Amino acid sequence: MSASSTVSTPVSLPAEALRAFEAVLGRDGLIVEDSQLRTYECDGLPAIREVPSAVLLPTDTAQAQAIVRICAKHNIPFVPRGAGTGLSGGAMPMSGGVVITSTRMNRIVSVDFENQRMVAQPGVINNHLTDRVSPKGYFYAPDPSSQSVCTIGGNVAENAGGAHCLKYGFTTTHVLGLEVVLSTGELVHLGASCLDAPGYDLTGVFVGSEGTLGVVTEVTLRIVKRPETVQVLLAAFDTIAGAAQTVSDIIAAAILPAAMEIMDRLSVVSAEAAVHPNYPQCEALLLIELDGPAEEVHLQMEQVRECCRRNGSWEDRLAQTAKERMLVWKGRKAAFAAAGRLAPNYIVQDGVIPRTKLPQVLESIRRMSDAANLRVTNVFHAGDGNLHPIVLYDASHPGEEERATDLSLRILELCVDLGGSITGEHGVGREKQCSMGYMYAEPDLATMERVRTAFDPQNLSNPDKLFPRPRLCGEKTGSYTPHPLEIAGVAEFF
Amino acid sequence: MPSTTAIDPEALRAHAASVCGAEFVGPDNTAAPADTQQAAELLHYADSNDISICPAGAGTKMEWLGGAPAAMSLSTRRMNAVLEHTWQDMTCTVQAGCTWSALQARLGEQGQFVALDPLWADHATVGGVVASNDSGALRLRYGALRDLVIGMTLVLADGTIARSGGKVVKNVAGYDLPKLLCGSFGTLAFIADVTFRLHSKPLHITTLSMSASHAEPLGKLLLQVLDRHFSTVSMQLRGGPQGFALDLRLNAMPSVAAQQEEMLRGLGASMQPAEESVWAAREALFTDRDGWLIVKATMLPTGIAAAVQEIADAGGKVVAQATGILTGRVPRTSAGKLVRLRSWCEAQGGSLVLLHGDVVDGLDRWGTLPDSWPLMREVKRKFDPRITLNPGRFLGGI
Repeated sequence: MSASSTVSTPVSLPAEALRAFEAVLGRDGLIVEDSQLRTYECDGLPAIREVPSAVLLPTDTAQAQAIVRICAKHNIPFVPRGAGTGLSGGAMPMSGGVVITSTRMNRIVSVDFENQRMVAQPGVINNHLTDRVSPKGYFYAPDPSSQSVCTIGGNVAENAGGAHCLKYGFTTTHVLGLEVVLSTGELVHLGASCLDAPGYDLTGVFVGSEGTLGVVTEVTLRIVKRPETVQVLLAAFDTIAGAAQTVSDIIAAAILPAAMEIMDRLSVVSAEAAVHPNYPQCEALLLIELDGPAEEVHLQMEQVRECCRRNGSWEDRLAQTAKERMLVWKGRKAAFAAAGRLAPNYIVQDGVIPRTKLPQVLESIRRMSDAANLRVTNVFHAGDGNLHPIVLYDASHPGEEERATDLSLRILELCVDLGGSITGEHGVGREKQCSMGYMYAEPDLATMERVRTAFDPQNLSNPDKLFPRPRLCGEKTGSYTPHPLEIAGVAEFF
Repeated sequence: MPSTTAIDPEALRAHAASVCGAEFVGPDNTAAPADTQQAAELLHYADSNDISICPAGAGTKMEWLGGAPAAMSLSTRRMNAVLEHTWQDMTCTVQAGCTWSALQARLGEQGQFVALDPLWADHATVGGVVASNDSGALRLRYGALRDLVIGMTLVLADGTIARSGGKVVKNVAGYDLPKLLCGSFGTLAFIADVTFRLHSKPLHITTLSMSASHAEPLGKLLLQVLDRHFSTVSMQLRGGPQGFALDLRLNAMPSVAAQQEEMLRGLGASMQPAEESVWAAREALFTDRDGWLIVKATMLPTGIAAAVQEIADAGGKVVAQATGILTGRVPRTSAGKLVRLRSWCEAQGGSLVLLHGDVVDGLDRWGTLPDSWPLMREVKRKFDPRITLNPGRFLGGI
């Protein structure tokens, strides 16, 4: 059977390119059937969809390099994709383009405990990295809450964070080196297993570039010694300001918790209804996780409790066992999906503000939501000022979705006005690319474009993402749709 | 490559004087702009007239990597203000010409600091430290500049003023250009100001040391400490022909520190309290440097002891951080041994760069170029197409 006869695709890739893809990947490494392609038409932002012309599943670096060369030869745009859990549309396909998915490049290549490093292919699931090294007391620190399904390649693209990045840093902190196929098909190594590789820090600029600079084929990572002790404190406050001041006081006391999270009343109510974490019903719930040497954690927790009491906390509970801690975190991690109990539709945002602006931004959000006649519930990574306002609405009410979308974008602009950012961890993708023009001036963006054109002169690697594209502005990004795994309680976003 | 004599020096100085005032232009073709706008105007003029430019702070590392033969220096000495210290948010924004110690003194008023210990902090400027990606013993605990810089204002060679990053620690909007600029040695842009994330100063510091006649047992102890639950801030293995020492700095409450000292004894280590001054050992390698080669080498932590021993055996002195970054000082006559050491470092993914001293006996400055070098050159071309900024100073002649 000839290659071309095996390929039935409703879209228009050159037949020569399809034959070449199949010659490299084999029939089972190439998806062109319409029904299967639809699996890849969106990522965790399901409101924007596009069916790709083909999905390519390389098994190793050589295959990845070969297919990118074919793309370059035929001028076919490509979108690198991991598990597709991203929340900003960064991994959605583009019309006439292909998706290069890392699903079959899922091998942990090596682990070096003495030097606290490991090497993995991009399709390895985040949690599997920790699973591999935990028998010797290590873990891979960045913990996006989709970590049970998301891949390290996707984490690299998005510079994924997580609740514990307050202490341990983001993906970029833990990536030492990358093997990358550029859009020309050239294979390059950025960084190395050792620090400070001579030359420009291209690893630093590649991490978080959302697939626009090339395809990752191998990642060299740091692993971290698991802390001796972990304790989580749950403290109830009558005001968000009291909880926020506690966060500032803890940091001023030279204590660096592993995580600090605030949930407002609506979030507490919905989380309680969804997963019954037995939270106190309060205006603001503060979760503080300390880790480190046992004696130190014990002493610092006393200081933390004192900070809570001083700022009006009327109840605090310590979760010490793994089971107790899991229950506390379960409620927090359920916050996005649980918002579905408050309204039929909702939009999750990902703004960042200087931490001390929290009371001010909440007051502004309250006024804005009142004016829009919509409710907004809030959860924050309070230690680093990353807030996730959840705008609640009912799409069956005429005009309400438009008001909700407008409100969520204005909240992002408020974050920028206060010296913050439009995204702390979800990425720009397609969702927020037009807000980039609000955050950055034209020369700032043009300087970033210089980097892009150095890496990708043909503009083939995930084009139409990240940078403002006027023709795409005004696109409806729509409401949050929980991932099936999230509904099943297997994975959470937060 | 631009000609450094494409324009009459008098005309060059006259133009610089018209931009930033005659009193701020020296006979050595050093111009000191008052602000970012003036820097942009000077750069645009230089770029348009093929005049090469070297951004300059205090010049403490100007000779590194063979110096910068530019027609004009653009000094940051008038751009030396701490623009903002929002201590409750633990961030600060500072102009590039502020000295490291002046910045730290200001931050220290609130018990905070930029958690980095660069060389010559009393003189070195923020811009120079960032451009050279200097780091010391604190890196083990707090990371490098790439982990501490969260925003930057740049002036590109054509005069474009660009802001990158922001004032918040968590920010994934767009490319992380500050990382690209850290360690770029002034070849991509003039750094006008920098925004840092800050840390609280550690409250309970203890320094311990242990000596040995060979590096190997100390290297073994270093790996054991890395693998255990110590409150380690810094750890270095230093030595020379006279012997070796392992220094360990803990940040732990007194009762916790006592427990950890007991843990060290359990590892068979007889570490004794030591002065904080042991952490100045890296800087001491640079004193009276004439006739010496000074290198920065990187290796895996498992390779530290062997590298330290090698340099000592070559008649040199060395300080290696537990991160696997080593500064070594060896006699020029031992260059051949550095060539072998470089091969050994490169085989494990490391490197050896000649910071100070002329290229000698087959020891070039950089070692083997990475396969990403053509990409780096392309980045340089996009940022500085007329090769105005520090021509030829960087990796492989970029």
